[in-house]
Order: sequence, then C-alpha cells, then structure tokens
Amino acid sequence: MKKNLRRSIFFLLLLLAGSFVCAQTRIVRGIVTSKDNGEPMPGVSVVVKGTSFGTETSEQGKFLLRLTAGANTLVFSYIGYQTVEFPVDTGNNIHIILIPELKQLIDVVVTGTGVATRKARLGISVETVSGTDLAETPQGTIDEGLIGKIPGAQISSVDGTPGATTNIVLRGINTVQGSTSPMILVDGVESGSLDIGSLDPAAVDHIEVVQGAAASTIYGAQGANGVIQIFTKKGQLGKTKVDIASSVSASTYLNISDVHEAHLSSYATNANGKFINSNGDVITLDPYGTYQGVNWAYGADANNPTAMSNPLNIAHQQYGTNLKYYDHFAQLFKTADNYNNSVAISGANNSSDYSFDISNNHQESNIRNNGYTDRTNLTTNLGIELFKGFTVRSITQLVYTKSTINPFFTQGRNNIGAAIMSAPFDNFDQKLPDGTYPGVLGALPGADAGFNPNYVTEYSNAIVNRVTILENIQADYRINKFIDLNAKYGISYGKGEETVIFQNQTENINTTQYSSWIAFYNGNDATGEIDNYNFNNTFQNFIASAVIKTDFKKDFHLNAPIMTSTLIEFDHRKSYDTQLFAYGIGLPIYPIYNFQQTTSQSVFSDQKIPFVTYGYVVNQKIDFGEYGGLAGGFRSDYSSAFGEGSKPFTFPDINAYIRPSSFNFWSKQKLTNIIPEFKLRAAYGEAGIQPGAFDRYPTLIPSNVGSSLVFSLPPAENNANLNVEVSKEFEAGTDIEIKGWSGSWLTDINLSGTYWTRKSSNVIFGISVAPSTGGTTIKTNAIDLASHGVQASATITVYRAKDFNWNFTTNFSNETSEITKVAGPPIILTSGAGDTQEELVAGRKIGQIYGYKALTSLSEKNQEGVPYILPANYGQYTMVDGRVVNIATKGIQFTNELYPLGDPNPKFNTSFINRFDYKTLSFGFQFDWVYGSHLYNQTKEWQYRDGISEDYDKPVDIAGTTAAYTAYYRSAYADVFDARNGGRNGTKDYFYEDASFLRLRNIYIGYDFSKLLNSKVFKRALLTLSGRNILTFTKYTGFDPEVSSGTSNSTFDRGVDDQSMPNIKSYQLGMNLAF
Amino acid sequence: MTGIIASTSCKKELDVKNPNYPTIDQAKTESGIIALASGSVYNNSANNGAGGLGDGYFGTVIGYHELLADNIASTIANGNLNNVNVPDYVILDDGTKISNPSPQKMNLRINNARDRIGTNMFYPEWQSMYALNNACNQLLDLVDGISFSGDVDTKKNTIKAWAYWWKGFAYARLGSVYYAGIINNVTSSTNPNYVTSAALIAESNKNLQTASAILSSINNTATYMSIMGQLIPSFVQTGNGAVPTQQMFIRNINTLEARNLLANIKLTDMTTANWQTLLTLTSAGIGANDNVFEAVSSDINDIFNANGGCVSSLTAGIPATTLFTVSERLIQEFTPGDLRFSKNFIQNEYLNQVGGFTFSTRWELLNAGDTTVNNNNAIVFCDKTPGNQVVYIAGSYEENELMKAEALINTGKIDLGLASVDNVRNYQGAGLAPVSGTGLSLDAAKEELRRERRVALVFRGTAYYDARRWGVIYDISQGGGRTNAVVLGTDGVLNTKAIINYNFLDYWDVPADEVVLNPPAPGSVPVKNPN
Repeated sequence: MKKNLRRSIFFLLLLLAGSFVCAQTRIVRGIVTSKDNGEPMPGVSVVVKGTSFGTETSEQGKFLLRLTAGANTLVFSYIGYQTVEFPVDTGNNIHIILIPELKQLIDVVVTGTGVATRKARLGISVETVSGTDLAETPQGTIDEGLIGKIPGAQISSVDGTPGATTNIVLRGINTVQGSTSPMILVDGVESGSLDIGSLDPAAVDHIEVVQGAAASTIYGAQGANGVIQIFTKKGQLGKTKVDIASSVSASTYLNISDVHEAHLSSYATNANGKFINSNGDVITLDPYGTYQGVNWAYGADANNPTAMSNPLNIAHQQYGTNLKYYDHFAQLFKTADNYNNSVAISGANNSSDYSFDISNNHQESNIRNNGYTDRTNLTTNLGIELFKGFTVRSITQLVYTKSTINPFFTQGRNNIGAAIMSAPFDNFDQKLPDGTYPGVLGALPGADAGFNPNYVTEYSNAIVNRVTILENIQADYRINKFIDLNAKYGISYGKGEETVIFQNQTENINTTQYSSWIAFYNGNDATGEIDNYNFNNTFQNFIASAVIKTDFKKDFHLNAPIMTSTLIEFDHRKSYDTQLFAYGIGLPIYPIYNFQQTTSQSVFSDQKIPFVTYGYVVNQKIDFGEYGGLAGGFRSDYSSAFGEGSKPFTFPDINAYIRPSSFNFWSKQKLTNIIPEFKLRAAYGEAGIQPGAFDRYPTLIPSNVGSSLVFSLPPAENNANLNVEVSKEFEAGTDIEIKGWSGSWLTDINLSGTYWTRKSSNVIFGISVAPSTGGTTIKTNAIDLASHGVQASATITVYRAKDFNWNFTTNFSNETSEITKVAGPPIILTSGAGDTQEELVAGRKIGQIYGYKALTSLSEKNQEGVPYILPANYGQYTMVDGRVVNIATKGIQFTNELYPLGDPNPKFNTSFINRFDYKTLSFGFQFDWVYGSHLYNQTKEWQYRDGISEDYDKPVDIAGTTAAYTAYYRSAYADVFDARNGGRNGTKDYFYEDASFLRLRNIYIGYDFSKLLNSKVFKRALLTLSGRNILTFTKYTGFDPEVSSGTSNSTFDRGVDDQSMPNIKSYQLGMNLAF
Repeated sequence: MTGIIASTSCKKELDVKNPNYPTIDQAKTESGIIALASGSVYNNSANNGAGGLGDGYFGTVIGYHELLADNIASTIANGNLNNVNVPDYVILDDGTKISNPSPQKMNLRINNARDRIGTNMFYPEWQSMYALNNACNQLLDLVDGISFSGDVDTKKNTIKAWAYWWKGFAYARLGSVYYAGIINNVTSSTNPNYVTSAALIAESNKNLQTASAILSSINNTATYMSIMGQLIPSFVQTGNGAVPTQQMFIRNINTLEARNLLANIKLTDMTTANWQTLLTLTSAGIGANDNVFEAVSSDINDIFNANGGCVSSLTAGIPATTLFTVSERLIQEFTPGDLRFSKNFIQNEYLNQVGGFTFSTRWELLNAGDTTVNNNNAIVFCDKTPGNQVVYIAGSYEENELMKAEALINTGKIDLGLASVDNVRNYQGAGLAPVSGTGLSLDAAKEELRRERRVALVFRGTAYYDARRWGVIYDISQGGGRTNAVVLGTDGVLNTKAIINYNFLDYWDVPADEVVLNPPAPGSVPVKNPN
C-alpha cells in the first residue's frame, strides 16, 4: 500500500517536473545514506521546500535534481527516519545521512482508516512502533517488546514462564466473559491461528495500534478491544542485504523483596532442642521420606481455640538439630539460558522486492528439570509489479513451536506453590532408598503439604508441538489516479498437539503410603495416564476494497482545496476450530507411554467450532487542503454468533481534525517557527464484541457413564436472544510539534495527547438464576460498563550534534473502568483472593476485591453503626502497626463484614525511554512506572496459614511486650471479629498491598565495530550488551509486583498474586552482522 | 461490489448451530429420553459442573451430613468443612472447657451468602436436588410425546415411575434438611411460594406413591426390566445394585417413605400411630435379597471418583493427609469384638492443632479393610479399587431392618426388634453374639439400636437425621449434647468422660442464592429457621 503510494507520488512528481523544465537553473546531485548502517538509501523523498517539486533517490541512494531559482532548501524524508532540511545555496554534490526516528513519526498509517493516510491528516489516534525499537532488548516476543512503548496501552508481563502471554488492555475493560485481548492483524489480514507471541520480532517492520471503538469501527463487531497490526519487513531497493543476528542470554527469577520462609519456628522441642511429636519422641525421617509429627509447643487450651492462636508459641531459633532449614527457592529455581538466532536476506529492484527471514528462539525454564520452549519462524515477503499499476504480494509465515514445560509449571498453574507451601524442614532433594523422590513431604498440622517439585518433574512431562502457517496474498490494482482496487486473502492454519504423560507411580513407597499422586484425569489410582490434546484452527480472512480518491484542484481544476477518499470494503472471516482431547489411564511400569499401553481410554472433549462473520465498510474522508478534514462511515456486520435471525449489526463512526498551524494567521506568524504543527482532532465510533461461538444455542450435555452415552441438562444455560456487546467511544486529542532551541538542545518536541471516554452496553455474562429452576446461570446481555482515560506521549530530541544524539520519549496512560448497570442482583465472580468472591455491582469498579478490614481505631463501628468494641473494654486492646490488637490473644482485630478493598488496577502507567547515539556507539534504557496498582498477596496468606512466612520471625511490640508471637501473625489469616479461627483464608486488607513499581525494563549498549574491521564485507557489525528487568523499585512484599494469577487477559481477575511465577531478569549478549 | 455478490451465498453460512452437542430435540426419541433419564440422575459433577448425583453429592453433600453427625471431622477449610461441625464447647475430663469462638449457627449464616457458594453448606444439596427435580420435570414433559416401539405403555410408565421416584427422592432429601422449600413441577422455571419442610416431605411421599402406583400397573416385566437395565449404568448392576423388579422397586419406595417419617419427627415426639405406620412401611420395605439404588465406582466414565468421590474414600488413609478423619465418637459406638471395627480401623494418631478441638483422633479408616491383621468377613467401608466401592443412594436393607427394629422396640416387641438388630449385624458380618433373647430392658434395647444405627449406617447420609431426632445436636439446656464422649485433646491427652455441647442448627435455612434470586411471595413460610 505504502509502496504504491510512493510510486504514485513519484509519477505525479515526474509529471509536475516536466512542467517546470523551462524554468531550470542548476543541478544538484547527492547521495543519502542511513545512520543506522551506513548504507545508501533508495526511495528517499527529496523535495524542494515549500513546493511539491522533487524526486526519489535511486537504487544506489543517489539523486539528481534540477533546481529553479529561489529553491534553496531541500527536504529529505523517509518513513521511520528523521526528516532533514538541507540548504543548497552553494554546493551541488551533497551527502545526507538520515537518522532513524526514535518512534512515532512513521508517517503513513492504514490501521483504523483502511486507506493509507498521513498521520497529519488523521482524525483518530493511531500509535506506531518501529521494528528497530523492538530489536535491541532481550525479549522473546513482540508483545513483551511493546510494554511501555504505546501510550495508552497497559501491557504487563504477568508470568515469567517461557511462552507465557502478556496481559494487554487498550483503553479500559469493555467485556466481562471475554478477554481484553485486542484483534491482531498481520499485514492487513487477521492473524487467526497465529498469536502475537509466536510472531518473530526480527521480521517486524513496524506496528500500528488503534486502541478504541472510535478508531476500530472498521473492524466492526470484533473491534471493541482495539487492534494491533503488525507489518513484516519488505525488501528495499538496493543490493541484496544479509543480516545475521545472534544472541545469548542468562536469566534468573525475580525475588524483589527477598521472599523466604521463616527461619525461626515455635514447634515442640525437647530439652536437647530436638523436634518432638506429641508423645515426646524425637522426629526422624520416616521410611517414606517425610518428617511426621511436628507440633506447636503449646496446644489449644481453654482460652485459645488452636495451637497457633496460643500466645505462648513464640518463634525462636530451632532448626539445625534433627530438622534442618532448606531454602526451597534455591532448590526450585535455576539460572536459565536463552538463545536467539536469525538470518535475514532481502533486496529489491524496480519491479519486485523480496525478504526472507529465518529465526530461532530458545528459552529455558527457570525451574529445575523443567524443559524449554523453542520457536522457529520463517517469514517471506515477496512483491512484484506485474504490469503498470498492478502489484501482487505474498507474505508467508511459518512458525514451529515446541515446548517441554512440565504441565504443573505452565502459566497459571500456581507454579511456585510447592516451594511456598512446603515446611522449611522439607528437603526437595531428599531421595527414597530406591533413588526416586518422595511426593508428599512432611505435613504441618492442618496444612496440606506442598508437593515435591522433583517428584513432579520425575513422574510427569509434556510435549507441545505446534505448527502454524499464515499465507497472505494481496493484489493491488491502481486503475487510474482515482481508483485503487485491493484484495487480500489470508489463510492461516494452526495444528497443535500436546501429549502429557504421568508415569505409573505405584512403585514409589511415598505414593502408596499417602495415597497421593499426580494426575489430571486418573484420580482412581497411581497408575498414571497419557493425555493427548489435538487442536487445529483454520482461519480465512478475505478483504476486498476499493479506494476512490479525488483532488478537486488537480482532477477537476476547481479552485477548492478539497481532496476526498472513499473506502468501500467487504470483509469476510471464517474460522474453524477443532479440538480432540483424549486420555488413557493406567500405564505400565516399563517406560512405553502410548495409548495402547493404557488399561482404559476415554474422550474428554471432541469439538468443532465454526465461526463466520462478514461485513461491509463504507467510509468517506474529505480533506480541506492542509487545514483539516472530516471522515465518517459505518460498518455493517453479519455473524454466526449474533442473536436469532442473524440480523446485521451496524457500527457508525465519524471523526474530524483541524490544523490551526496551517492557517495563515499561524503560518505567517512567528508562531510557526516555534510550533510548526498543531492539530486538534475528535472522533466518535462504535465497535462490538461478539458473543461466544455457541452462546446462543441451548444444548444438552452428552457424557459417558460406563459404556453408555447419556445426556444431561446443562446448569449454565445459553440464550438464543443474545445481542452483540457494543462499545461507544468518543475521543479528542491533539498532536503538537514544537521547535525548541535553535542550538543542539531540545531541538524538536512532539507531543500527542488523547482523552477518551467510552460506554459498553449489552455486555454478556452468565447471570445467576434461582437454583430451584434446576439451573445455575443463563447468559444475558446483563451489564453496562463505562471507562475513560488519557493517553499522552512526548518525543523529544534532547540533544542533537554531529556525532551525538539523545532522544527521549515518554508514554503515559491512565484509565479506569466501572460498572454502570447490572441486570438483577449483583453478579458473582470468582477470583483467587482469599475466600470471598468478587461482585459486579453498579457504581463500583470492575475488578474490585472485597474483604475484611483490620480495625484501625478502638471506636470503629460496623456497617450497621454498632461499635465493635465497647468503651469499657478499650483497655484490652492496643495498636500495632496501625491495627487494633487484642493484648491477651495477640490477635489483630478484623471486621466481620466485607468491604471493597479497592480497585487493583493502576492509577496510571508511564514509561521513559532514552536513546543516546555517539558515532557508532549507542546506549539506551527504558524505565516503566506503574503507579497505584495493587495485588492481593494470596501467596503470603497461604504462608501465613502454615506459619512459614518470613514475617513470623519478626518480633512485634504488643502493649510493651515484644516477641515473635505466632498468634499475632496467624490471626491475620484466621480471625475475624468475635470469631477467632472463624475467618480462615478470609480476604483481608492485611494482604492487599500497593504493587506500584518503577522498573528498569531494559538497558542496552551497542557498538558497531564494522569500521574497525577495515573491510568492505560488513556494513554493520554490532555488538550489543543488554539487560531486562534488572532493577525494580517497589513496596510490594512478594516476588514481583507485575504478576497476576488470573486467567490470561481476564477482564476482572487481575489483582491477585497466588503463587505466580515471577518475571525473570536477564542479561543478553548479542551480535548483529550485516553485509 | 465483490462483496455484494458474495453476501447472498454467505447468509446461509451464518447458521452454524452447535455441531458438538445434542439439543433437546435429540432427547425426543426412545433412545434419547433414556439417555436423558439416565444421564440426568447419574451425573458425575466432574463431567458437567453441577446437578444430579456425582462426586459433589456423594462427597460433599453426604460429607456435610456425616460431619454434623460427628462420624468424621475435617481440618481442611475447603467448603467450610472445618467449621460446620465444631461444637459450641467441650468440657474435658479435667474440667477444662474449650469454647468455639465462632458458634456453628453464626458461622453457617455468615456463609449463607451468594458470594460464598464455595463455603455455604446450605447450597450444594439444594442445588443438586432441585437440578434432579428439574431433570425429572423435563422427562415427564417429554415422555408422553415420544413414539416408543413395542409396549409403549410399559416403556412410558417405566420412565414415569423413574421420574416420580427421583422427584420423591429429591423432595425427601430437601424436606429432611431444609426449613422451607419450593414445590416445583415446571421445567426450567420456578415459583416463589415457599412451603414448610413437612410440606416437602408430603410432596416426596406423594411422588413416591405415584411411582408406586405406576409400578403396580406394569404387567410387562420383561420390557420394564429392559428399560430399567438401560437407565441404571451397567457397572452399577452388580450385587444388589442389579435392576430391581417392580416389587423390589416398590419396597425401595416404602423404605424411603419410612425414612421420611422417622427422620423428621423427634424421637420424643413419636406417637404410637407413627410407630405403627413405620412398622407397616418397613414390613413392606427392602428385604435382604432386594436390589436397591446404588452408585458403584468405576475405572473410567464413572459416577463418582473411586479414590475420593465419596465420604468413605475421602476418609480412608493416613489421617494427616486425608480430607476427612475418623471421629472418636464414631469409634466409641463399636461394641468390643465387632469385626467391622477390627477390619476397617487401625490406630494412627493425628492431633489437630488448627481448630476443631474435638477433631483429634487415634484412628485411621483403612482402604479395603485390613487384610493382613484382622481379615474377616465383615463389611468393608472403603474400597478404593475401581468397581468395588458401593454407595447407597436411598434406602438399604440394613436401614429398613433397623427402622423396623425401632418400630418393634417402641411398640413393645423388644425381642423382635433386637432380632432385627441381629439380622443387620449378621448381614454385615459383625461377628457379635445375638442380643435378641438376652432379655435386654427397653432402654438397653434402645441403646443397642442407637449404637447399631451409628455403626451400620455410617457414610450412608442418614446419620445427621438420627443425631437430630435423638436430640444430640441441640443445646445442653434443651436436653441436647452428649456425655461420656471420647475426646483426644490437641495435646494428645485422651478424655473418656468429656461433655460435648454441639448446639447445631437443626433444619437449614434456604440458601441465599434462592432467596435473593427468587424472593418469597406473600403467603410463603419463613425461609430462615428461627432457631
């Protein structure tokens, strides 16, 4: 698209050039090279300032221009590079070096508009990120690379498992049952089977993002979560270019706050300091590899319902006698190695271009004996102009991923629970006499013990193989200067297979003794199982469009500076998923693991999910010279997921912009020297989220009982009358360019800001029905949501000199979402925080966590106005850390009524990106600051249950007596007011923590030593040393403030840390050779 | 342009339906309604989430009843299991009184909230029984419209009897534990007219009698047996889980009606007429050779998980690692020499230090009985080998015989009653000397019966009804509680003369999920137990 645009501009320029022939005065020649790699740059626009007269550089980066009198400044511009103005009053052979843009000024965008449009002429906000911004730092995936780079977007890395997905929120929460994931397009078609995490960052040319309904109307009933469009690299005019990149990195898990288990304890010991059981016997390792019988020194008594609530139990140094202290995190984690290798070959001539890219990414897990993920990408992008105006392009992506991550240590499976829940005296590395590991370790009284991760990796494994192919064929025919026809067809096919094996564990004596083993389906016995998951997806996207452009002045010779562009588009999407999940149970002892070896087999799920949607887009854009413009249109969608009768759903949009800086009052004044660009824009649009594929089809549930196929009535009912969820958005913003000082400092400042507000209605959720109907829920368009926010960015050329450049970008985002309507009583949602559930109630923030609050004053009253403590009893209490504590029981006093504890989502997030270039040395770093986010530290609460949190070591001063009271900490887990031990795992504000953080997301230093090699072979020889997540500042007391244990991209379950795998910090050494 | 041409052909594509699952239309055939009639009753909750009889019912619902009857205890907080049966207080042998800082009634009601389904004891039984009732309403809606082959009337009647029986069962469970409820005969709908538990029991009896009348009308036994053979899963049809004849089915109905009567009247309130009715019903109840309604474990495609899908399998194993542990108060009911005890229990001390001051135990329930030390022919309470665990869904021979015994003892036929006790002991291989013919006094006979009910019917979901009608669960001030209880202290000291004051809620409040979403209409009875 862009190439065609350039080509058409080129022709136009040639035509114009002809008409100026008679006025020529002199010739200017020159060459343009890239600062990036020193190579000549073909296709650079060279225009005489103030006119539209100019040319493009040749394949060798050269240009020749005949200048008329008075033309004394040339403007050199190229997408992704800083525009250079060069005075040509004297010399006539010039060398221009273009410097890559830090970001943002990728000049022409198509996402959200459908028609290639200069950013200056947009009424909507479209963000762009160039591929070079992704390249420098050690991240495995595109989405990780996007963190902090898009103003307005909240992208968080919530799980450190290799291959884990990020959470992406673009402008608020718009749905409840679905996810916040945006639509992903690759080169104009929906990526379908290919998720963003499996695309090759090295093949990315640039990325465009539209965030809300105002801009994503043209994506219709699926566009409400926004769109991220990825453009792959194309070959550039010039010699064949070969790029080889290789990097190796080492990573370790993050433990920002030094989480560890308690070093002290308050268990029963004898006079020799040895741990004893209730009979006074010294505890020894039993034949099953466990320490049994550990008890607290003081039990329940008349005043205390449990041993742990007995204030006589005080933590003190005990380990080191018959029981030792083991650092479980040292036993669980390791340093992991990751590798990245890629080779890219590209080139182009005047009628064709090609780009091949092959890469491999290999990431080990940071958990011992826990496999890796490995991804190989092959990307080709071929374009050819078959005849004048008719171009064909083929883009192919082939991705193979393999993962051997253990099924218990994948994303969202409470990965580090084993290490957190095991008593400090349990030794993961302890083996049974036959050399196998015990699974059940010593049990603390009342706690279900952590399961030995070594047992898990010994007896289970998984292999996931996935092949995805995305073929995208595009034809573009520019019939004449008015009409451009374009057709794109993308087909993606993904085939994945996961095989999980749980070996026969019956010979493990610990397993038989405790009747405890690992399995997904075989709950009957320890004979193991094999599970096979097969999933296939075929996704087709066909888009046919016609763009009609007119320029009243040029085309019709009217004296009106009006340009129009009309988009008419048909968009058809068809998806077909199949899943077959089968398992066999009962594997033999000998190591042959296939279905034939199992004693019985069953099919868990066999599903086909067809989905069809298509729509029409009509969009009309009118630009009034450089002054402003207006655009509007609609998209009408049909879908197999809509309500009865499949009536179309129509989404309108309208937007406008005005550029005061282009009016005479501005451009003729000095103002234009300070603020050359000032644009105001506003847009309104609607977009939707479809119901799930079968949400409108009531069915029975088939299952097997014995040898029969039987039916049952589903407790969660579907609803034939569901409507699409509609999101309506208004945004208004401004884009400003400020020329700073004339010297080297602050020469150029680009500011951009957008305020947006949106309302989502008809949001679908399964609302509860009275159980006496026989069901539990029915899907209903039950919820309305509202959100608003601000996004802003500033890109500043802080310092510019001959050999030194300093660029700075800051991106800012603030957003908040609240529930405005719920049909019927509150909707109950489950989250991982404590024992309470979330409620959706009108007027409250979505994602709010509810729980008990610690009393903070003696006179605190409950919600009915009744004081918790009578004044006569004030003497029984004291304050500790701002909380009311009972002096006798040492227990913290919590309310026994639930309160909303707050919205865990951040108040804002912002990033600061710096890049410094000195000759061939480059240096940069990015800080991300997430402010006002909260996490419910459920990980800690589980440790509080068992008395193994490090906090139990800390003495507290309770009314003048200082000791590490077990009862004090246990009360935070177990008590609510008037019910000691009656609020176990209650959700408490005690565990609801500020998770704001400032993180050095990445830092790199690169040195191009190609010049030193004194060889013509290398155009670039770049050595890069970089680091990711190497510094974090936070008050959060868990491993990592960025994690979230909720379902990936959940709309509401976002603020809980329940045994999540923390992110990793890594150091990478990379080498990039280009020739 | 291209698009407009394409669109006409596209529109048909849109109606993708759901190609994976059958709809209600597929249940409108002979095989379809049989599949629905079977699947909506035997329904492992692991397969479809909720409803019917599966892990959730046999493990959790019956688990609550066994907890409240003090047969088992749990230290695990899931489902509020560790709180629902903590007594108000215990007085140990040395006079130490340990009180529950969060009394049971208060705790249960705090958890009776819509956002606490997971810890609301009132919820699961209500939900699963109304799901069962609704499935039966659906069957009754469909059955008359279906064209059966062969003996149409017998086939229809068999399915109707099946539906009315399970409706009767559902109302029996609901009326025997909830303070109020709803009578609902409309599929996938409800009404806001709450009635008393007595009315629910009456509705149960009405449905049972309808089933009984239909069964009496069936003459074509072969067709009846064939349909029933398809309704009951094949792996259940072993031992006395085989298909009951019409007459056996009717005797199952009579036993359940007898339970409806006995379970819902306090022992002290039973009238002579009540005892007579009980005697009549149990005399026509389940015999030693009758087939009954059971669930049986299976290696695959099961109704409940063999390793942990019912109360006994959740109890068997090392006490420190199991969900449930054996209560000392259950063990103390065994008569010395009872082979059922020596076969099923061994000593394995477990001190509970995290609440539940009566929960510590010296005992472990064995999986599949102790075949090495005390091998004998007594009944095995737990057998985790797939295919071996039997769970009684409704009545059993033992229950019927003990109800008969109780009716006899209380109507002056003490020795006949004791003979029934002996029958049960012999049936279960207890190896105890007969008590009939030993001239026991009325009180001694009642005590013999009480202990036998606790032992013989353990894990069968009726023990809480007993504890309630005997008055044990009530506050000591109201004649409740128990003395001479065996309690192992959290410090490991064994008490044998402890006093336990349970003070539990007798009939449960209607769960908030129902009351909030289906508020009582004027004229409804109270939905909250005033106790």
